[in-house]
Amino acid sequence: MASLCKVMRNVSSRSSLLQKHCVCITHRSLYSSDASGGDDKSPERAKGGFAAAYELHSDLQQRGDQSAARRMSSRDETSFASLLRHSALMQMGPAKEKVVIGKIFHIVNDDLYIDFGGKFHCVCKRPPTDGQKYQRGSRVRLRLEDMELTSRFLGATIDTTLLEADATLMGLIESKDTKTKE
Amino acid sequence: MCSGNMAAGVLSGVRQVLRGPRLLSAVFSCHGQTFSSAAAAVKSAPDTAVTEKILNFPLTQPDYFHLSELFTMKDLFEARVHLGHKKGCRHRLMEPYLFGSRLDTDIIDLEQTAELLQQALNFTAHVAYRGGIILFVSRRRQFGHLIETTSRECGEYAHTRYWKGGLLTNAPIQYSPGVRLPDLIIFFSTLNNVFQQHVGIRDAAKMNIPTVGIVDSNCNPSLIAYPVPGNDDTPVAMEMYCRLFKMTINRAKDKRRQMELLKGISASV
Repeated sequence: MASLCKVMRNVSSRSSLLQKHCVCITHRSLYSSDASGGDDKSPERAKGGFAAAYELHSDLQQRGDQSAARRMSSRDETSFASLLRHSALMQMGPAKEKVVIGKIFHIVNDDLYIDFGGKFHCVCKRPPTDGQKYQRGSRVRLRLEDMELTSRFLGATIDTTLLEADATLMGLIESKDTKTKE
Repeated sequence: MCSGNMAAGVLSGVRQVLRGPRLLSAVFSCHGQTFSSAAAAVKSAPDTAVTEKILNFPLTQPDYFHLSELFTMKDLFEARVHLGHKKGCRHRLMEPYLFGSRLDTDIIDLEQTAELLQQALNFTAHVAYRGGIILFVSRRRQFGHLIETTSRECGEYAHTRYWKGGLLTNAPIQYSPGVRLPDLIIFFSTLNNVFQQHVGIRDAAKMNIPTVGIVDSNCNPSLIAYPVPGNDDTPVAMEMYCRLFKMTINRAKDKRRQMELLKGISASV
């Protein structure tokens, strides 16, 4: 399936990324030298019984910590590009006809303001069935139409935006608590 | 990037302006002490030296307040800072700060945002350390209360209502002749309610007041001294910015109080 996104990289960001990669490599070489130093020391001590078992387990724990530290440092140094690539927004694709879960964060009489994880919230009318169950904090199912309602009007240089997303309310998410109560 | 160089030139002039009154006030206070007694004249010379050291030493360090530990790029990502408006709303001067556009939605480059946010927080911390007045400005009604409570919690000022024309440029007449203007203005959203650039940005540039601004993909970053490209529409993102600025200002002020206490202890000893 051909990807629909156009990614334009900046030359300036590439140079800054290169500097960061050099820093990553020096950090990794430091970690690997520490690990190899530890491995060289352990075969020299030939002890038996509890002492050997304790040292073996402490070495394993140290190695686990180092690899966890390496994993944590690599996770901290995860680039924005990979974070974006694996994010839900990219996995979703076009917003049309996609079903998402949202949470109501504000209510004004019959208008429900629902946040589903995008840039904007959407505003839906309270449905006639089970109207009172829609309170602040309830999770609902939405069918997305548009992530941001914008349109270019005649004579304008830029789009006019409504600062809202467009979605249809499908229903409440029935949690286990409400099911057991009924 | 020529706008960045211009901003640096403006800022060096501004920094000298900021430094001047602080040293003058220190010198005046020492003179007040010498007038009282002759013995105090001996202490005045080391006092000025210590005050100068307190003021100038943090400027020699790249990250004196350790602000890089306040946020990571993952925090920015989870606060949806990278989401921009649609392609049709894009401002041409924001194109260097954009990573790209995905299905017509602009994505802001968080690598650049992280660096620029670090610089902006560092500048804010130094201004707060030197006792500068900081003004939070935003015309987004959705976040007005949040910004006002943030400013109260860090002991600074906020202006989230209608901006009267001569607030900065006509201050001696609209308020009183000796009124002190803010030393830093932080814009949490650089647009007003009709999607035009906030008047405060132009007025702050006229009055040589440095500005920090969160610029979304439909904003103009040119007149702002420390632009921070990022989302200014989502509550999660705004709460994160408020929390970060509050923490930097409190950290800087606590550090200053600590240094003054140390100076007091060393002077008494």
